[in-house]
Amino acid sequence: MTNGQTHVLLIEDNPGDADLVRLRLVEGDSDVDVSCVNRLADGLASMAKKQPSVVLLDLNLPDSHGADTFRKVLEKAPGVPVVILSGQDDEILAMKALHQGVQDYLVKGDITSAHLERVMRYAIERQGLIRSLEMSRHQQLEFKNRFLSHVSHELRTPLTCIHQFITILLDGLAGEVNPEQRYHLDTVLNSVNQLRAMIRDLLEATRAESGKLRIEQRCITIGEIVQQAISMMSATAKEKHVGLEVGLDSRLPLVYADPDRVLQVMVNLIDNGIKFTPADGSVLVKACVVEADPDVVYVSIVDTGRGISPEARALIFERLYQDPDSIDNNRAGLGLGLYIAKELVELHGGRIWVTSEPGSGSTFSFTLPVYSLAKLLFPVTVYEGRLREAMVLVKVELTPVSSPPRVNWKETCQQCLETLRRCIYLDKDLVLPMLAGHGPEEIFLVAACTDIERAEIMMKRIREQLGKIVDLKASGMLQVSATRVTLPNVEEGNTATLEEQVRAVAHEVLEMASAAMDHRLPSQSKIGNSNATTSKAKTMEG
Amino acid sequence: MEKQRILIVDDDPDLRRALKIRLRANHYDTLQASDGYSAIAMAQKEQPDLIILDLGLPAGDGFVVLQRLQNNDSLSDIPVIVLTARDPLSNEQQALQAGASAFFQKPADNNELLDVIRATLPNPWPGTALPS
Repeated sequence: MTNGQTHVLLIEDNPGDADLVRLRLVEGDSDVDVSCVNRLADGLASMAKKQPSVVLLDLNLPDSHGADTFRKVLEKAPGVPVVILSGQDDEILAMKALHQGVQDYLVKGDITSAHLERVMRYAIERQGLIRSLEMSRHQQLEFKNRFLSHVSHELRTPLTCIHQFITILLDGLAGEVNPEQRYHLDTVLNSVNQLRAMIRDLLEATRAESGKLRIEQRCITIGEIVQQAISMMSATAKEKHVGLEVGLDSRLPLVYADPDRVLQVMVNLIDNGIKFTPADGSVLVKACVVEADPDVVYVSIVDTGRGISPEARALIFERLYQDPDSIDNNRAGLGLGLYIAKELVELHGGRIWVTSEPGSGSTFSFTLPVYSLAKLLFPVTVYEGRLREAMVLVKVELTPVSSPPRVNWKETCQQCLETLRRCIYLDKDLVLPMLAGHGPEEIFLVAACTDIERAEIMMKRIREQLGKIVDLKASGMLQVSATRVTLPNVEEGNTATLEEQVRAVAHEVLEMASAAMDHRLPSQSKIGNSNATTSKAKTMEG
Repeated sequence: MEKQRILIVDDDPDLRRALKIRLRANHYDTLQASDGYSAIAMAQKEQPDLIILDLGLPAGDGFVVLQRLQNNDSLSDIPVIVLTARDPLSNEQQALQAGASAFFQKPADNNELLDVIRATLPNPWPGTALPS
C-alpha cells in the first residue's frame, strides 16, 4: 500500500510541535514529504488542491477548536485518513473522533518516529480497506438491483403465456367450458394475478431501494381516490363477507399528491385490512383534517381484525417483514407491500403509522400534504428575503385535432409537460399543478418570475421545443400566451409579512388561472373571500 | 369485405399463437414474425393494418424495427402497439417517441389491448358499429 511517496499534510499551529513532528517523520525510513500549515482554513484549501495520503491534525488551531476541527476535515475529504495529534490525553474525545471516522488519536508527548510512521501506515491501509468495502457493497447493491429487475422481466414472459391461455379457455375460445372447469380456471387466473402483483412489488421495492421511485404530484380530491379504491376492492371484500365502509369529512381540502400512487397505497392497506379481518367484520376508510395539523389530510384504514402485537408494530413497515402469525396463512405475500406504501407516502412528504389493540383491530394511517399554491410559489417568488419584481402567467394549450383524440394523447400531454419543465428556470418559474382535465384539451400554466418582455423569450423556447414533439404535430395544436400578474404593492407603508405577500400572489394567480382554465383549476383560496379583486391583467396573445 | 390484418412480432411462438387465437376471435386476420428482420420484410410484403411489437427480439430489437418503419415511407403510417415484458419506466417514453402509438407491459389486460386496437384502427365498415 505504501508504494511511492507519502504526502503528509500537517495542520499544526505551534511551530515547535510542527518542527518536532517533521523531524520524527524524516528520521524514519519511508519516503515522505510533509507540507505544514498552521490554520484549518489553509489545511482545507490545501486538501482541495491536492489530496494528501494522510492528515496529521492538531485540534486546537487559531480558527477552530476541539471536535469541530476533525469534523470539518472529515467532511471536506471523507476518503482521506486523519490522525489526530493532540496536546491532551482525552479518552472521551478520542473515542468520539474514532466513531466519526478518524483513524487514530495520538498524544504529542508520546510520539516516537517509528511509532508515528507505523500509525500513519496503518491509518492509510485501514482507510483503503474501508473504501474498497464500501465500493464492493455499492457494487453488490447495484448487482442485486440489476438482477431483480432482470428476474422480474424474465418471470413476466412465461406468466404472460399462462395468462393468455387461461383467458382463452375462460372466454370459451377453445370450446365450451363446463362450470366445474370454469371454477378451476378461475382459481388459476386468481393465482396468476397474485403472481403478477408480486412481480410488480418486487420491481417497485428495487426501485425504492435505489431511489428510482417517482411520483407526479397533482392537485387531487382525496374523496375520488377513496371511491376508486373502494370500488376496486369491493369484490374481494364481498367474497370474504367483510363490510367495506367509507367515512369522509364533509369539507376536505385538496391534496397535492400523485393520484395513481395514492390509490396504490390505499388499495394495499385495504387489501391487508380485508386479509386480516374475519368474516362479518368490517374495513372502514376514513379521511379527515385535524385542527392541530391543518397542513395535511389524514387517511385511515380501520379494520376489525385480530390486531397487531406491539413487537410487530415496530417492524411492520420494514422491507421483507412478515407477521409471524400469518406465515402459516398460505398466502403471506412477499412482505413488500407496506414497505412500498411507506416509501410512497414519504416521497409525498407524508408519514405512515399503525395503531392497534390486539384482539380488536388495527388502524393504518397516513398523511398527505394539503395543496397550497402559496407554499409551492414561495421558493420561486421570494429571492434574497423579498418578493421578486415581476411575474407573468404563461398559458400553454394543447388541443387535439381529432375527436376523440388519438389513443396516445395522454402520453403526448405527459411528454409535453416534461419538455415544458425543461424550458423553464426551476428556481424562478413554476408549472402549476392541475386537476385532471375534464376535456380532451390539456392546459398547462407556468407562473414565471420575469417581465413580459423576457417572457416572450421563454414562450419562443416553449413553442420551439413543444412544437418538435412528433406526436403533437400529428395529433394536436399548440397555443402559447402570457398574462402579467399584478403583484402586491411592497413599497413602504405595506406591513404585510413575506408569507402574506406570497399568499396574495397565490390568490391572484389562482384567480387568473381559474379564469384561464374555465374554472378547472381549484380555487380554494376563494373560500371566505367573496369580494375577490379582479385582475387588471394585460393580455398578450402568442 | 376483407378482414383487417395484424402483424404479431414476438420471439415466443406460444405467445404468438395465443394472440392469434385472441385476435381471430375478434375478427382480425393475423400475420406473424419472430425477429426484427423478418418483421420488416413481412410488413413490406404484406402491408398489415397494425403491428403488435415486442421489444426484446433477435435480429434487430423492437426499437430498430420502430426506426426502420418510421424511415420507410410505405410503412411509416402503420400503427404500432408495443407489447413487452420490459419496464415501462425506462422504455415507454422511448418507444412512444420512436413512433409507437401505445405501450403495454406483459401480461396485458386483453380488453384494454383490444380497446386500443379498435381505437387505433379505422372502422373497416364505415357507417356500421364496430364488431365486438
